[in-house]
Amino acid sequence: MQLQFLILIVLAVTATIFSIVASVAMIVRKALELGRSRAYERLYRIYSARVAEFLLIELAPNTDDPRPSTVFRQYEELIAPTKKHLEEMNRSRRRFHRDVLRAVLIDMTQDISGDSAERLVYFFYSLEFVEEELRMLQSGKWWVRAQAARNAGLMRARKSITALTAALEDDHPDVRHQAMQALIKLVGVDALGTILRLSRNISRWTAIELSVIVAGFKEEAVPHLTGALESRDQSVVLFSIEMLAEIGFVRAVDPLMNLIRTTGDFKIRAQATKALGRLGDSRAMKLLTELLSHRSPEIRLSALEALGKTGGPDVVDSLEPYLASDDWEERLTAARALAATGLKGIKILQDSEKQEKGEARDLAAQVLEEYGLEPAHG
Amino acid sequence: MSQKILVAEDQQHIRSLIEYKLTNSGYTVVCAEDGKSALEKAGQIIPDLILLDVMMPLMTGFEVLAALKTDEKTRNIPILMVTAQSKENEVLKGLELGADDYITKPFSPNELAARVKNILMRRKRGT
Repeated sequence: MQLQFLILIVLAVTATIFSIVASVAMIVRKALELGRSRAYERLYRIYSARVAEFLLIELAPNTDDPRPSTVFRQYEELIAPTKKHLEEMNRSRRRFHRDVLRAVLIDMTQDISGDSAERLVYFFYSLEFVEEELRMLQSGKWWVRAQAARNAGLMRARKSITALTAALEDDHPDVRHQAMQALIKLVGVDALGTILRLSRNISRWTAIELSVIVAGFKEEAVPHLTGALESRDQSVVLFSIEMLAEIGFVRAVDPLMNLIRTTGDFKIRAQATKALGRLGDSRAMKLLTELLSHRSPEIRLSALEALGKTGGPDVVDSLEPYLASDDWEERLTAARALAATGLKGIKILQDSEKQEKGEARDLAAQVLEEYGLEPAHG
Repeated sequence: MSQKILVAEDQQHIRSLIEYKLTNSGYTVVCAEDGKSALEKAGQIIPDLILLDVMMPLMTGFEVLAALKTDEKTRNIPILMVTAQSKENEVLKGLELGADDYITKPFSPNELAARVKNILMRRKRGT
Protein backbone atom coordinates (compact mmCIF):
# COMPACT_ATOMS: atom_id res chain seq x y z
CA MET A 1 0.00 0.00 0.00
CA GLN A 2 2.77 2.37 1.00
CA LEU A 3 4.75 1.45 -2.14
CA GLN A 4 1.80 2.19 -4.41
CA PHE A 5 1.31 5.54 -2.72
CA LEU A 6 5.01 6.31 -3.18
CA ILE A 7 4.86 5.46 -6.90
CA LEU A 8 1.85 7.76 -7.32
CA ILE A 9 3.68 10.59 -5.60
CA VAL A 10 6.76 10.09 -7.83
CA LEU A 11 4.58 10.05 -10.98
CA ALA A 12 2.75 13.22 -9.95
CA VAL A 13 5.99 15.05 -9.19
CA THR A 14 7.53 13.91 -12.50
CA ALA A 15 4.47 15.09 -14.46
CA THR A 16 4.53 18.45 -12.69
CA ILE A 17 8.24 18.95 -13.37
CA PHE A 18 7.75 17.94 -17.01
CA SER A 19 4.87 20.39 -17.53
CA ILE A 20 6.86 23.21 -15.84
CA VAL A 21 9.89 22.53 -18.06
CA ALA A 22 7.69 22.39 -21.19
CA SER A 23 5.98 25.66 -20.28
CA VAL A 24 9.29 27.40 -19.60
CA ALA A 25 10.67 26.11 -22.91
CA MET A 26 7.61 27.41 -24.73
CA ILE A 27 7.88 30.82 -23.05
CA VAL A 28 11.59 31.02 -23.90
CA ARG A 29 10.86 30.05 -27.50
CA LYS A 30 8.11 32.65 -27.82
CA ALA A 31 10.37 35.29 -26.28
CA LEU A 32 13.15 34.43 -28.73
CA GLU A 33 10.71 34.58 -31.65
CA LEU A 34 9.41 37.94 -30.48
CA GLY A 35 12.95 39.23 -30.05
CA ARG A 36 13.88 38.07 -33.53
CA SER A 37 10.76 39.57 -35.01
CA ARG A 38 11.47 42.92 -33.34
CA ALA A 39 15.11 42.79 -34.45
CA TYR A 40 13.90 42.03 -38.00
CA GLU A 41 11.52 45.02 -37.97
CA ARG A 42 14.19 47.35 -36.60
CA LEU A 43 16.72 46.18 -39.19
CA TYR A 44 14.15 46.38 -41.98
CA ARG A 45 13.57 50.02 -41.06
CA ILE A 46 17.30 50.75 -41.11
CA TYR A 47 17.91 49.01 -44.44
CA SER A 48 14.80 50.61 -45.99
CA ALA A 49 16.20 54.06 -45.25
CA ARG A 50 19.65 53.04 -46.50
CA VAL A 51 18.39 51.46 -49.72
CA ALA A 52 16.13 54.46 -50.38
CA GLU A 53 19.27 56.59 -50.27
CA PHE A 54 21.18 54.19 -52.55
CA LEU A 55 18.39 54.33 -55.08
CA LEU A 56 17.60 58.02 -55.03
CA ILE A 57 20.84 59.81 -54.31
CA GLU A 58 21.91 62.01 -57.23
CA LEU A 59 25.10 60.75 -58.87
CA ALA A 60 27.57 62.99 -60.63
CA PRO A 61 26.95 62.97 -64.40
CA ASN A 62 29.56 60.99 -66.34
CA THR A 63 29.93 63.33 -69.27
CA ASP A 64 33.63 62.48 -69.77
CA ASP A 65 33.15 58.73 -69.69
CA PRO A 66 29.59 57.62 -70.41
CA ARG A 67 30.36 53.85 -70.49
CA PRO A 68 28.09 51.61 -68.40
CA SER A 69 31.10 50.45 -66.39
CA THR A 70 31.54 54.00 -65.08
CA VAL A 71 27.93 54.04 -63.88
CA PHE A 72 28.39 50.60 -62.29
CA ARG A 73 31.49 51.86 -60.49
CA GLN A 74 29.38 54.66 -59.02
CA TYR A 75 26.76 52.13 -57.91
CA GLU A 76 29.47 49.98 -56.38
CA GLU A 77 30.83 52.95 -54.43
CA LEU A 78 27.36 53.48 -52.98
CA ILE A 79 27.02 49.95 -51.72
CA ALA A 80 30.64 49.25 -50.78
CA PRO A 81 30.39 50.40 -47.12
CA THR A 82 27.37 48.14 -46.56
CA LYS A 83 29.17 45.19 -48.15
CA LYS A 84 32.23 45.81 -45.97
CA HIS A 85 30.04 46.05 -42.87
CA LEU A 86 28.39 42.72 -43.74
CA GLU A 87 31.75 41.03 -44.29
CA GLU A 88 32.91 42.07 -40.82
CA MET A 89 29.98 40.32 -39.11
CA ASN A 90 30.05 36.77 -37.81
CA ARG A 91 28.32 34.18 -39.95
CA SER A 92 24.90 34.00 -38.27
CA ARG A 93 24.60 37.78 -37.89
CA ARG A 94 25.63 38.31 -41.50
CA ARG A 95 23.04 35.80 -42.63
CA PHE A 96 20.30 37.57 -40.68
CA HIS A 97 21.31 40.98 -42.07
CA ARG A 98 21.51 39.65 -45.62
CA ASP A 99 18.02 38.13 -45.29
CA VAL A 100 16.60 41.48 -44.22
CA LEU A 101 18.49 43.41 -46.89
CA ARG A 102 17.33 40.99 -49.58
CA ALA A 103 13.71 41.37 -48.38
CA VAL A 104 13.95 45.18 -48.54
CA LEU A 105 15.46 45.12 -52.03
CA ILE A 106 12.85 42.67 -53.31
CA ASP A 107 9.99 44.68 -51.79
CA MET A 108 11.41 47.79 -53.44
CA THR A 109 11.43 46.13 -56.89
CA GLN A 110 7.69 45.67 -56.66
CA ASP A 111 6.89 49.29 -55.93
CA ILE A 112 9.46 51.34 -57.77
CA SER A 113 9.88 52.12 -61.46
CA GLY A 114 12.09 54.40 -63.52
CA ASP A 115 15.86 54.87 -63.33
CA SER A 116 16.09 53.75 -59.70
CA ALA A 117 14.89 50.26 -60.66
CA GLU A 118 18.08 49.83 -62.74
CA ARG A 119 20.21 50.42 -59.67
CA LEU A 120 18.30 47.70 -57.83
CA VAL A 121 19.28 45.14 -60.46
CA TYR A 122 22.94 46.06 -60.00
CA PHE A 123 22.66 45.69 -56.22
CA PHE A 124 21.17 42.21 -56.53
CA TYR A 125 24.17 41.12 -58.58
CA SER A 126 26.78 42.95 -56.54
CA LEU A 127 25.52 41.60 -53.22
CA GLU A 128 25.49 38.10 -54.77
CA PHE A 129 21.77 37.63 -54.18
CA VAL A 130 21.36 36.45 -57.76
CA GLU A 131 23.96 33.72 -57.21
CA GLU A 132 22.15 32.69 -54.02
CA GLU A 133 18.82 32.37 -55.85
CA LEU A 134 20.48 30.30 -58.57
CA ARG A 135 21.80 27.91 -55.90
CA MET A 136 18.37 27.76 -54.26
CA LEU A 137 16.79 26.85 -57.60
CA GLN A 138 18.68 23.55 -57.22
CA SER A 139 17.33 22.89 -53.71
CA GLY A 140 15.71 19.56 -52.87
CA LYS A 141 12.74 21.38 -51.33
CA TRP A 142 10.13 22.46 -53.87
CA TRP A 143 9.02 25.52 -51.87
CA VAL A 144 12.60 26.82 -51.78
CA ARG A 145 12.88 26.34 -55.57
CA ALA A 146 9.53 28.09 -56.11
CA GLN A 147 10.57 31.05 -53.96
CA ALA A 148 13.94 31.26 -55.72
CA ALA A 149 12.23 31.27 -59.13
CA ARG A 150 9.94 34.08 -58.00
CA ASN A 151 12.83 36.10 -56.58
CA ALA A 152 14.94 35.64 -59.71
CA GLY A 153 12.12 37.21 -61.71
CA LEU A 154 11.68 40.08 -59.28
CA MET A 155 15.44 40.68 -59.30
CA ARG A 156 15.24 40.88 -63.11
CA ALA A 157 18.31 38.64 -63.12
CA ARG A 158 18.86 37.74 -66.76
CA LYS A 159 21.64 35.45 -65.62
CA SER A 160 18.93 33.13 -64.27
CA ILE A 161 17.12 32.68 -67.61
CA THR A 162 18.72 29.28 -68.30
CA ALA A 163 17.96 27.99 -64.80
CA LEU A 164 14.40 29.30 -64.98
CA THR A 165 13.89 27.67 -68.38
CA ALA A 166 15.01 24.39 -66.83
CA ALA A 167 12.58 25.01 -63.93
CA LEU A 168 9.71 25.02 -66.45
CA GLU A 169 10.14 21.23 -66.44
CA ASP A 170 10.29 20.95 -62.63
CA ASP A 171 8.30 18.13 -61.04
CA HIS A 172 6.33 20.52 -58.86
CA PRO A 173 3.63 22.71 -60.48
CA ASP A 174 4.29 25.69 -58.17
CA VAL A 175 7.94 25.81 -59.26
CA ARG A 176 6.91 25.62 -62.93
CA HIS A 177 4.35 28.34 -62.33
CA GLN A 178 6.82 30.71 -60.64
CA ALA A 179 9.45 30.03 -63.32
CA MET A 180 6.91 30.89 -66.00
CA GLN A 181 6.00 34.18 -64.32
CA ALA A 182 9.67 35.05 -63.80
CA LEU A 183 10.55 34.39 -67.44
CA ILE A 184 7.70 36.59 -68.62
CA LYS A 185 9.04 39.38 -66.37
CA LEU A 186 12.55 38.90 -67.72
CA VAL A 187 12.01 38.25 -71.40
CA GLY A 188 8.50 39.48 -72.15
CA VAL A 189 6.34 37.97 -74.88
CA ASP A 190 9.25 36.02 -76.40
CA ALA A 191 9.28 33.79 -73.32
CA LEU A 192 5.84 32.49 -74.28
CA GLY A 193 7.18 30.24 -77.03
CA THR A 194 9.59 28.51 -74.64
CA ILE A 195 6.99 28.30 -71.88
CA LEU A 196 4.42 26.67 -74.15
CA ARG A 197 7.01 24.36 -75.75
CA LEU A 198 8.19 23.04 -72.39
CA SER A 199 4.87 23.03 -70.54
CA ARG A 200 3.00 19.83 -69.85
CA ASN A 201 -0.25 18.99 -68.10
CA ILE A 202 -1.20 22.63 -67.66
CA SER A 203 -3.31 22.77 -64.51
CA ARG A 204 -6.47 24.82 -64.28
CA TRP A 205 -4.72 27.29 -61.99
CA THR A 206 -1.71 27.70 -64.31
CA ALA A 207 -4.07 28.09 -67.27
CA ILE A 208 -5.87 30.95 -65.54
CA GLU A 209 -2.59 32.70 -64.65
CA LEU A 210 -1.11 32.14 -68.08
CA SER A 211 -4.27 33.31 -69.84
CA VAL A 212 -4.06 36.67 -68.02
CA ILE A 213 -0.47 37.07 -69.25
CA VAL A 214 -1.30 36.01 -72.82
CA ALA A 215 -4.37 38.26 -72.97
CA GLY A 216 -2.12 41.16 -71.95
CA PHE A 217 0.15 40.55 -74.94
CA LYS A 218 -2.85 40.32 -77.34
CA GLU A 219 -1.86 39.76 -81.00
CA GLU A 220 1.84 39.69 -80.08
CA ALA A 221 1.13 36.30 -78.51
CA VAL A 222 -0.47 34.82 -81.65
CA PRO A 223 2.75 33.50 -83.34
CA HIS A 224 3.73 31.74 -80.09
CA LEU A 225 0.26 30.28 -79.66
CA THR A 226 0.07 29.01 -83.25
CA GLY A 227 3.54 27.49 -82.76
CA ALA A 228 2.25 25.70 -79.65
CA LEU A 229 -0.50 24.03 -81.70
CA GLU A 230 2.23 21.57 -82.67
CA SER A 231 2.88 20.58 -79.04
CA ARG A 232 2.55 16.90 -78.15
CA ASP A 233 0.85 17.84 -74.89
CA GLN A 234 -2.93 17.97 -75.24
CA SER A 235 -3.34 20.55 -72.44
CA VAL A 236 -0.94 22.95 -74.18
CA VAL A 237 -2.76 22.62 -77.51
CA LEU A 238 -6.17 23.08 -75.91
CA PHE A 239 -4.92 26.12 -73.99
CA SER A 240 -3.43 27.65 -77.16
CA ILE A 241 -6.65 27.10 -79.12
CA GLU A 242 -8.69 28.73 -76.38
CA MET A 243 -6.37 31.75 -76.26
CA LEU A 244 -6.33 32.12 -80.06
CA ALA A 245 -10.13 32.24 -80.03
CA GLU A 246 -10.07 34.66 -77.08
CA ILE A 247 -7.62 37.05 -78.75
CA GLY A 248 -9.66 36.84 -81.96
CA PHE A 249 -6.92 37.58 -84.43
CA VAL A 250 -7.59 36.36 -88.02
CA ARG A 251 -4.01 35.10 -88.41
CA ALA A 252 -5.09 32.15 -86.28
CA VAL A 253 -7.65 30.86 -88.83
CA ASP A 254 -5.27 29.01 -91.17
CA PRO A 255 -3.24 27.30 -88.40
CA LEU A 256 -6.49 26.18 -86.72
CA MET A 257 -7.87 24.81 -89.99
CA ASN A 258 -4.59 22.99 -90.54
CA LEU A 259 -4.76 21.56 -87.03
CA ILE A 260 -8.31 20.25 -87.61
CA ARG A 261 -7.17 18.54 -90.83
CA THR A 262 -4.07 16.93 -89.34
CA THR A 263 -4.77 16.03 -85.71
CA GLY A 264 -6.08 12.64 -84.74
CA ASP A 265 -7.21 13.89 -81.34
CA PHE A 266 -10.98 14.41 -81.42
CA LYS A 267 -11.00 16.64 -78.35
CA ILE A 268 -8.50 18.98 -79.97
CA ARG A 269 -10.37 18.90 -83.26
CA ALA A 270 -13.67 19.76 -81.55
CA GLN A 271 -12.09 22.61 -79.59
CA ALA A 272 -10.43 24.01 -82.73
CA THR A 273 -13.73 23.80 -84.58
CA LYS A 274 -15.45 25.83 -81.86
CA ALA A 275 -12.58 28.33 -81.98
CA LEU A 276 -13.13 28.82 -85.71
CA GLY A 277 -16.74 29.66 -84.90
CA ARG A 278 -15.64 32.26 -82.40
CA LEU A 279 -13.22 33.77 -84.92
CA GLY A 280 -16.10 34.04 -87.40
CA ASP A 281 -13.96 34.01 -90.56
CA SER A 282 -15.71 32.95 -93.79
CA ARG A 283 -12.60 31.03 -94.96
CA ALA A 284 -13.51 28.31 -92.48
CA MET A 285 -17.04 27.73 -93.84
CA LYS A 286 -16.17 24.95 -96.28
CA LEU A 287 -14.24 22.99 -93.68
CA LEU A 288 -16.94 23.48 -91.05
CA THR A 289 -19.60 22.25 -93.44
CA GLU A 290 -17.50 19.15 -94.14
CA LEU A 291 -17.22 18.50 -90.43
CA LEU A 292 -21.01 18.30 -90.11
CA SER A 293 -20.75 14.73 -91.37
CA HIS A 294 -17.85 13.75 -89.12
CA ARG A 295 -18.23 10.43 -87.29
CA SER A 296 -17.54 12.01 -83.88
CA PRO A 297 -20.71 13.50 -82.32
CA GLU A 298 -18.58 16.02 -80.39
CA ILE A 299 -17.06 17.35 -83.60
CA ARG A 300 -20.42 17.47 -85.38
CA LEU A 301 -21.86 19.51 -82.48
CA SER A 302 -18.87 21.87 -82.54
CA ALA A 303 -19.23 22.32 -86.31
CA LEU A 304 -22.97 23.09 -85.98
CA GLU A 305 -22.26 25.66 -83.28
CA ALA A 306 -19.37 27.20 -85.25
CA LEU A 307 -21.36 27.42 -88.48
CA GLY A 308 -24.16 29.20 -86.68
CA LYS A 309 -21.71 31.86 -85.51
CA THR A 310 -19.81 32.13 -88.79
CA GLY A 311 -22.10 31.41 -91.70
CA GLY A 312 -25.09 33.72 -91.75
CA PRO A 313 -27.92 32.90 -94.22
CA ASP A 314 -25.59 30.90 -96.53
CA VAL A 315 -25.34 27.97 -94.13
CA VAL A 316 -29.02 27.69 -93.26
CA ASP A 317 -29.58 24.93 -95.83
CA SER A 318 -26.69 22.92 -94.35
CA LEU A 319 -28.02 23.29 -90.81
CA GLU A 320 -31.71 22.70 -91.35
CA PRO A 321 -31.54 18.89 -91.90
CA TYR A 322 -30.05 18.52 -88.41
CA LEU A 323 -33.33 19.70 -86.87
CA ALA A 324 -34.50 16.19 -87.71
CA SER A 325 -31.44 14.40 -86.34
CA ASP A 326 -31.88 11.28 -84.20
CA ASP A 327 -29.73 12.89 -81.51
CA TRP A 328 -31.53 15.33 -79.23
CA GLU A 329 -28.38 17.41 -78.49
CA GLU A 330 -27.71 17.72 -82.21
CA ARG A 331 -31.27 18.95 -82.83
CA LEU A 332 -30.92 21.55 -80.05
CA THR A 333 -27.49 22.76 -81.26
CA ALA A 334 -28.77 22.96 -84.85
CA ALA A 335 -31.79 25.01 -83.69
CA ARG A 336 -29.54 27.39 -81.77
CA ALA A 337 -27.16 27.64 -84.73
CA LEU A 338 -30.08 28.45 -87.04
CA ALA A 339 -31.23 31.19 -84.68
CA ALA A 340 -27.68 32.60 -84.69
CA THR A 341 -27.58 32.86 -88.50
CA GLY A 342 -30.20 35.60 -88.58
CA LEU A 343 -33.66 36.15 -90.08
CA LYS A 344 -33.63 33.19 -92.50
CA GLY A 345 -32.79 30.70 -89.76
CA ILE A 346 -35.26 32.29 -87.33
CA LYS A 347 -38.00 32.00 -89.95
CA ILE A 348 -37.36 28.25 -90.19
CA LEU A 349 -37.64 27.92 -86.42
CA GLN A 350 -40.86 29.96 -86.35
CA ASP A 351 -42.35 27.76 -89.10
CA SER A 352 -41.26 24.67 -87.19
CA GLU A 353 -42.86 26.05 -84.05
CA LYS A 354 -46.14 26.59 -85.96
CA GLN A 355 -46.25 23.44 -88.06
CA GLU A 356 -44.54 20.76 -86.02
CA LYS A 357 -45.96 18.96 -83.01
CA GLY A 358 -44.63 17.58 -79.77
CA GLU A 359 -40.90 17.79 -79.09
CA ALA A 360 -39.97 19.51 -82.39
CA ARG A 361 -42.36 22.34 -81.64
CA ASP A 362 -41.17 22.65 -78.03
CA LEU A 363 -37.55 22.77 -79.17
CA ALA A 364 -38.21 25.58 -81.66
CA ALA A 365 -40.21 27.50 -79.04
CA GLN A 366 -37.44 27.10 -76.45
CA VAL A 367 -34.71 28.40 -78.79
CA LEU A 368 -36.86 31.29 -80.00
CA GLU A 369 -37.43 32.23 -76.38
CA GLU A 370 -33.69 32.01 -75.67
CA TYR A 371 -33.17 34.55 -78.44
CA GLY A 372 -35.86 36.82 -77.02
CA LEU A 373 -38.31 36.06 -79.84
CA GLU A 374 -41.98 35.46 -79.14
CA PRO A 375 -43.14 31.97 -80.23
CA ALA A 376 -46.19 32.09 -82.51
CA HIS A 377 -48.04 29.69 -80.17
CA GLY A 378 -47.96 30.98 -76.62
CA MET B 1 9.54 77.77 -44.05
CA SER B 2 9.29 74.55 -46.01
CA GLN B 3 5.94 73.02 -46.84
CA LYS B 4 4.74 70.10 -44.73
CA ILE B 5 3.70 66.83 -46.29
CA LEU B 6 2.02 64.01 -44.42
CA VAL B 7 2.86 60.59 -45.84
CA ALA B 8 0.29 57.96 -44.83
CA GLU B 9 1.67 54.61 -45.88
CA ASP B 10 1.86 51.34 -43.94
CA GLN B 11 4.73 49.75 -45.85
CA GLN B 12 8.08 50.74 -44.40
CA HIS B 13 10.10 50.48 -47.62
CA ILE B 14 7.72 52.74 -49.54
CA ARG B 15 7.62 55.21 -46.67
CA SER B 16 11.41 55.36 -46.68
CA LEU B 17 11.54 56.00 -50.43
CA ILE B 18 8.93 58.74 -50.33
CA GLU B 19 10.41 60.32 -47.21
CA TYR B 20 13.89 60.43 -48.74
CA LYS B 21 12.68 61.84 -52.06
CA LEU B 22 10.43 64.52 -50.61
CA THR B 23 12.88 65.55 -47.89
CA ASN B 24 15.56 65.99 -50.55
CA SER B 25 13.11 68.01 -52.61
CA GLY B 26 12.90 70.51 -49.77
CA TYR B 27 9.72 69.48 -47.96
CA THR B 28 9.21 68.68 -44.29
CA VAL B 29 7.89 65.13 -44.15
CA VAL B 30 5.77 63.62 -41.38
CA CYS B 31 4.91 59.92 -41.62
CA ALA B 32 1.96 57.87 -40.42
CA GLU B 33 1.90 54.07 -40.45
CA ASP B 34 -1.86 53.54 -40.44
CA GLY B 35 -5.07 55.31 -41.34
CA LYS B 36 -6.05 56.22 -37.81
CA SER B 37 -2.78 57.91 -36.94
CA ALA B 38 -2.79 59.63 -40.36
CA LEU B 39 -6.13 61.21 -39.50
CA GLU B 40 -4.92 62.28 -36.06
CA LYS B 41 -1.69 63.77 -37.41
CA ALA B 42 -3.52 65.57 -40.20
CA GLY B 43 -5.73 67.28 -37.60
CA GLN B 44 -2.74 68.21 -35.47
CA ILE B 45 -0.24 69.52 -38.02
CA ILE B 46 -2.56 70.61 -40.87
CA PRO B 47 -0.10 69.67 -43.64
CA ASP B 48 0.12 71.39 -47.02
CA LEU B 49 -0.50 68.06 -48.74
CA ILE B 50 -1.30 64.49 -47.77
CA LEU B 51 0.03 61.50 -49.65
CA LEU B 52 -2.49 58.78 -48.89
CA ASP B 53 -2.13 55.07 -49.52
CA VAL B 54 -5.40 53.23 -50.15
CA MET B 55 -4.63 49.96 -48.38
CA MET B 56 -3.79 50.68 -44.74
CA PRO B 57 -4.59 49.03 -41.41
CA LEU B 58 -7.11 50.40 -38.89
CA MET B 59 -8.62 52.81 -41.46
CA THR B 60 -8.36 52.56 -45.24
CA GLY B 61 -7.22 55.49 -47.33
CA PHE B 62 -10.81 56.00 -48.50
CA GLU B 63 -12.10 56.18 -44.93
CA VAL B 64 -9.37 58.68 -44.03
CA LEU B 65 -10.14 60.73 -47.13
CA ALA B 66 -13.86 60.81 -46.36
CA ALA B 67 -13.15 61.85 -42.75
CA LEU B 68 -10.72 64.58 -43.85
CA LYS B 69 -13.28 66.02 -46.24
CA THR B 70 -15.96 66.28 -43.56
CA ASP B 71 -13.72 68.13 -41.09
CA GLU B 72 -13.66 71.90 -41.50
CA LYS B 73 -9.96 72.05 -40.50
CA THR B 74 -8.74 69.47 -43.01
CA ARG B 75 -11.22 69.58 -45.89
CA ASN B 76 -9.07 71.88 -48.03
CA ILE B 77 -5.82 69.94 -47.70
CA PRO B 78 -4.90 68.57 -51.15
CA ILE B 79 -4.71 64.78 -51.34
CA LEU B 80 -2.55 62.62 -53.58
CA MET B 81 -3.74 59.01 -53.52
CA VAL B 82 -1.33 56.07 -53.92
CA THR B 83 -3.12 53.09 -55.45
CA ALA B 84 -2.25 49.65 -56.72
CA GLN B 85 -1.75 49.37 -60.46
CA SER B 86 -4.70 48.37 -62.64
CA LYS B 87 -7.26 49.16 -59.97
CA GLU B 88 -9.33 51.66 -61.88
CA ASN B 89 -12.16 51.46 -59.37
CA GLU B 90 -9.78 52.61 -56.60
CA VAL B 91 -8.71 55.60 -58.68
CA LEU B 92 -12.28 56.58 -59.48
CA LYS B 93 -13.44 56.15 -55.91
CA GLY B 94 -10.56 58.30 -54.64
CA LEU B 95 -11.28 61.07 -57.15
CA GLU B 96 -15.01 60.95 -56.37
CA LEU B 97 -14.26 61.33 -52.67
CA GLY B 98 -12.27 64.48 -53.41
CA ALA B 99 -8.65 63.41 -54.02
CA ASP B 100 -6.72 65.88 -56.19
CA ASP B 101 -4.57 63.36 -58.05
CA TYR B 102 -3.33 59.79 -57.85
CA ILE B 103 -0.23 57.75 -58.56
CA THR B 104 -0.12 54.00 -59.11
CA LYS B 105 2.39 51.48 -57.78
CA PRO B 106 5.01 50.77 -58.99
CA PHE B 107 5.83 54.46 -59.18
CA SER B 108 8.80 56.55 -60.17
CA PRO B 109 9.92 58.67 -57.19
CA ASN B 110 10.77 61.50 -59.61
CA GLU B 111 7.25 61.43 -61.01
CA LEU B 112 5.84 61.41 -57.51
CA ALA B 113 7.87 64.50 -56.57
CA ALA B 114 6.72 66.23 -59.77
CA ARG B 115 3.08 65.52 -59.01
CA VAL B 116 3.45 66.81 -55.45
CA LYS B 117 5.06 69.98 -56.77
CA ASN B 118 2.28 70.47 -59.35
CA ILE B 119 -0.51 70.06 -56.82
CA LEU B 120 1.12 72.50 -54.42
CA MET B 121 1.70 75.03 -57.21
CA ARG B 122 -1.90 74.72 -58.40
CA ARG B 123 -3.10 75.20 -54.85
CA LYS B 124 -0.88 78.27 -54.45
CA ARG B 125 -2.31 79.77 -57.64
CA GLY B 126 -5.77 78.99 -56.33
CA THR B 127 -6.83 76.79 -59.26
